[in-house]
Amino acid sequence: MLWVDKYRPKTLDQVMVHTDIAHNLKKLVTEQDSPHLLFYGPSGSGKKTLIMALLRQMFGPGAEKVKVENRTWKIDAGSRSLDLELTTLSSANHIEMSPSDAGFQDRYIVQEVIKEMAKNRPIDTKGKKGFKVLVLNDVDKLSREAQHSLRRTMEKYSAYCRLILCCNSSSRVTEAIRSRCLNVRINAPSEEQIVQVLEFIGKKEGLQLPPGFAARIAEKSNRNLRRAILSFETCRVLQYPFTNKQAIPPMDWEEYISEIASDIMKEQSPKRLFQVRGKLYELLINCIPPEIILKRLLYELLRKLDAELKHEVCHWAAYYEYRMRLGQKAIFHIEAFVAKFMSIYKSFLIATFG
Amino acid sequence: MSDIRKWFMKTHDKGNNAASSKPSSDKPQSEKTVAFAVAGGQESSGRRITSKYFNSNKQKGKDEKEKQELPAKRKNAKDSEEIHEDDGDDSVLPTNKKKLADTTPTKKLKSGSGRGIPKKSAVLEESDEDDDKDAVSAAKSAGRGGGGGGRGAPGRSTGGRGRGGGRGGFMNFGERKDPPHKGEKEVPEGAPDCLAGLTFVISGTLDSLEREEAEDLIKRHGGRVTGSVSKKTNYLLCDEDIGGRKSEKAKELGTSFLTEDGLFDMIRASKPAKASSQEDKKLVNKAVAVASQSKVSPKSQVKVPLSSRSPSKQAKPKTATTVQSSSMWTEKYRPKDPKDIIGNQSLVLQLRNWLKAWNEHFLDTGNKKQGKKQNDSGLKKAVLLSGTPGIGKTTSAKLVCQELGFQAIEVNASDSRGKADSKIEKGISGSKTNSVKELVTNEAIGVNMERSKHYKSVLIMDEVDGMSAGDRGGVADLIASIKISKIPIICICNDRYSQKLKSLVNYCLLLSFRKPTKQQMAKRLMDVSKAERLQVNEIALEELAERVNGDMRMALNQLQYMSLSMSVINYDDIRQRFLTNAKDEDISPFTAVDKLFGFNAGKLKMDERINLSMSDPDLVPLIIQENYINYRPSLAGKDDSGIKRMNLIARAAESIADGDIVNVQIRRYRQWQLSQTSSLATSIIPASLLHGQREILEQGERNFNRFGGWLGKNSTMGKNLRLLDDLHVHILASRESSSGRDTIRMEYLTLLLKEMTEPLRTLPKAEAVQQVVELMNTYSISQEDFDTIVELSKFKGHPNPLDGIQPAVKSALTKAYKEQSSSRVVRVADLITLPGVKKVPKKRIAAILEPAGEEVEKGEGDTLDESEEENSSDNEELEGTKGEKLQSELQSYNSKATQIQLELKGTGNSSSKKTSGGRGKGASASGKKVAQAPKTTAKRKW
Repeated sequence: MLWVDKYRPKTLDQVMVHTDIAHNLKKLVTEQDSPHLLFYGPSGSGKKTLIMALLRQMFGPGAEKVKVENRTWKIDAGSRSLDLELTTLSSANHIEMSPSDAGFQDRYIVQEVIKEMAKNRPIDTKGKKGFKVLVLNDVDKLSREAQHSLRRTMEKYSAYCRLILCCNSSSRVTEAIRSRCLNVRINAPSEEQIVQVLEFIGKKEGLQLPPGFAARIAEKSNRNLRRAILSFETCRVLQYPFTNKQAIPPMDWEEYISEIASDIMKEQSPKRLFQVRGKLYELLINCIPPEIILKRLLYELLRKLDAELKHEVCHWAAYYEYRMRLGQKAIFHIEAFVAKFMSIYKSFLIATFG
Repeated sequence: MSDIRKWFMKTHDKGNNAASSKPSSDKPQSEKTVAFAVAGGQESSGRRITSKYFNSNKQKGKDEKEKQELPAKRKNAKDSEEIHEDDGDDSVLPTNKKKLADTTPTKKLKSGSGRGIPKKSAVLEESDEDDDKDAVSAAKSAGRGGGGGGRGAPGRSTGGRGRGGGRGGFMNFGERKDPPHKGEKEVPEGAPDCLAGLTFVISGTLDSLEREEAEDLIKRHGGRVTGSVSKKTNYLLCDEDIGGRKSEKAKELGTSFLTEDGLFDMIRASKPAKASSQEDKKLVNKAVAVASQSKVSPKSQVKVPLSSRSPSKQAKPKTATTVQSSSMWTEKYRPKDPKDIIGNQSLVLQLRNWLKAWNEHFLDTGNKKQGKKQNDSGLKKAVLLSGTPGIGKTTSAKLVCQELGFQAIEVNASDSRGKADSKIEKGISGSKTNSVKELVTNEAIGVNMERSKHYKSVLIMDEVDGMSAGDRGGVADLIASIKISKIPIICICNDRYSQKLKSLVNYCLLLSFRKPTKQQMAKRLMDVSKAERLQVNEIALEELAERVNGDMRMALNQLQYMSLSMSVINYDDIRQRFLTNAKDEDISPFTAVDKLFGFNAGKLKMDERINLSMSDPDLVPLIIQENYINYRPSLAGKDDSGIKRMNLIARAAESIADGDIVNVQIRRYRQWQLSQTSSLATSIIPASLLHGQREILEQGERNFNRFGGWLGKNSTMGKNLRLLDDLHVHILASRESSSGRDTIRMEYLTLLLKEMTEPLRTLPKAEAVQQVVELMNTYSISQEDFDTIVELSKFKGHPNPLDGIQPAVKSALTKAYKEQSSSRVVRVADLITLPGVKKVPKKRIAAILEPAGEEVEKGEGDTLDESEEENSSDNEELEGTKGEKLQSELQSYNSKATQIQLELKGTGNSSSKKTSGGRGKGASASGKKVAQAPKTTAKRKW
């Protein structure tokens, strides 16, 4: 088993990073009636771990006995009949799903699954709670229509169904939903906290860490605890015992995007734009999300760029990223950004060096 | 080189078959040539490339024509006698008509050479007929090449590979220089027929005109342009004597040399009164006015008596007017006598002989001796007339039957001609096919019908190549009818080599009708024009004949249509007419993109651009997005640093991205009124920014517009996302991780790949295999998931993740994985093999009820007892069992869960597959688990 799953805290008491939040959540579910919750924070900060621990606190160890279901809903939407299919994790007390996987038909799933849960109320024989919990992942990727329909459903069925929402960026969740939830901000762990976790894992695994090694991994991980632990294990696989100057390998797709950025900086010509398009297609085909590609590409370009152009390049990256979300063919927008960058940078070079 | 020429001839044949679309497809083809010019080439070189090819093709056609004439020496001798006789007649006519008379022998010569072919083709076998067809095509292309080189481009090619070969052929013919003073001289505008009666040949490069422009200029003023120097040639038009073949032959025959300035002087000399020429020469009204003025003066000068028909029309002007306005010219001027048919006279004669002799050979059974003598195994009971539309096949058949006294019954595509109905009770009235069968056999099929017999009857089956679409078994039934027929049957079709007519051809005498030459058609059209009081010169009518590709019906319709709005028709009017027709052509997406990005793209009107991009609103934007980077924009001009080009590319890319957003509004939110905005953003703006010359960006690439790559990439992306989803579901089913799909791809995949490949490279085989299989079991990773992880981690230019792993280690891994599958606890949902659907609910309910009751009763159960009972349970049990006794608290939760599950199943909410339940806290060794047989998958190579 990978270390990132092996040493994941299972209960709120075992949480190492967000101890105060865990403590407050424990008091919340034991002493009061739990409201709808919205967990937001960057990737790798521990949102899902806290949610799973919270469910265990609410429903006991039975919350871990989940089934994977490929559910199909037949929905009559006006003049059409839709067949939607989605993968869900469900236990006796909760259902977990990512409605954004259904594309732009996510609002039907959101409505339908909550109505279904409301119909099948649990028998209140021995259980402590009178409601079920619906965990929605990636709420910031829901379409606007789905978020609007979620708002009404949250209010109408709140007696039988509590929502736990999880997202990376709360600004993309509508204010109406945010105001109906208790917002729990899970910030990224600091590098000291990551070093603590890495040393804890090293001790458990019986590894000898050179001084400063854990700090270098924590620095490279960009305050992402999952990445730090995964990098730690990757270093273990590649070479052990560790050395002081051991290289910490990057992700393969990050390496590839860095290569693309180098290509763009070296030459700005139609021929190079054509080659870059081929490489961008490679990334998209390998299932790297286009938003991540554009974000990472901007990061790599900014590292090689003079200060004069950074503001303008950031503006155009934001411009094309916004339009990419409005559109459908991501390659068109990423390529437009690359073409715009080439145009700006080439003008800058010729104006500067003649 | 010869292969390319054959390709051109074949493509040309295809163009012939599509006669109606042929004239309109000439222009786009030549413009397509422009778009694919080689590096350094410009617009003009593309056209000259076309002309140069057809010059060489003409040579070949001429050689073949000479070969054809050799076997038909008799015919030529006969024709020469006719020519001599005509010359004798000419001496009686007045001097003014000498020039017109000079052209008559040329026409007869050509028609004479045409007559020699059908007799030859009738005798030859089918394999030889293919060669004959090629020869005929060569002759046709030779004739057409003389008329206008640029317009002789082959028809549209069908496949991408064919296109590549064809365009390669274009590029191989080298380049022709530009005129030195292109566009600098003023083109004169002379009298419409000041060059009438003169024949020109153009050689080399002129001073300021393109070759096509010079041809148009000469034809506009009544002159004739041919491709080679002959005795009839009056002038050789060349600005510098290169000493080529044409020049030498001109000197040999004494032809006059003429420069471009000399040609201009000849044209200007026809209008001495007007010293200053008009700048706007394209005004149609002025051209008509000038033409009418010049037309009037020759009439007043020449007082030649009209033909014999004219006095009768003058005597009855009202009747003529009434007739003119009420009937179609195609019916009014239909031939009334077989001799009136243009061309194909020997075929008409052959048809007449066949029909005349039909009764003697097939019906006269009285005289046995005579029958034996005259009977020939080569004779057929039916005849098949084939040829392109509008050349008189049906008219010939009807007129010959009429001449010989036969009654013709015509059946064409509008009649149902399937297999005859075998039920006789329906009688004849129920089916046309039964009527045909009764007619053919002279026997009544219906019970009540009287026996009707026509002594002389002929069945004309028109359009037999359209029989098999709705008429099932029609051709086979027609063949059966021919075998038992007691009357002659004449079949008419367009394409003799159609697949449907393969069997019919064996039972018919084959007569291949040919298209008449443009001179033959022009003569006939001139008669019609005079009868309808139109003023048309001969060159214009030849152009019309060429444009309609030998279709007399179409020519008459076009002429009648034009006569509604103008009484004087000249060369430019006909040319303009067919240019207008060309716009209605169905354009392929590649053609549309070529036009939008071509050199002339800047001159297109906005509605033309919208029509081009709307020709295929889905594919055109994708092709533009794929290829826009390859164009060097004309707007950039001199752009040494490349800044302007990158700016234009950036603007075009932004516009294409705009189009994507608009397209989402159209498709998802059904804003159809944004369609034109979409075509503007995706096609018109990028094309207007970047139109120019296309160039290749990578070595080895062909310089043609690529198909939109987004379609293939999107499909691959979708497939990979589904595979990633499968991996994600399996990892979820293992309950060791609950990350999302993107997290698995971006963060877990790198480590999983290294954990699964690095031990295979470094550790000993047995240890490595065990370690990898253990990891795969932990996360429920199957072999397909292993392949997915490897595939999603491949990047171009980076090493393959499986490099360095020995094949023996791979096979050991596969073997070890399969060995452990029998003892593996099944966790993956899709590996469960469901039994019959009806059995599922009962077994599930029983399986759920049994362990709960068991655990409740026993309480502190014995471990061994539980193991035995679990081992003895049914293999088809879907739900997993608990390994160890649970605490009292867990028991209550489990019991509650069981009841809820029962309730859920009772309501039938979920019918999807389920994963077997996993172990609880403190699970014991896997030995106690119940083993279930997994679904066996085919062995895969890692």
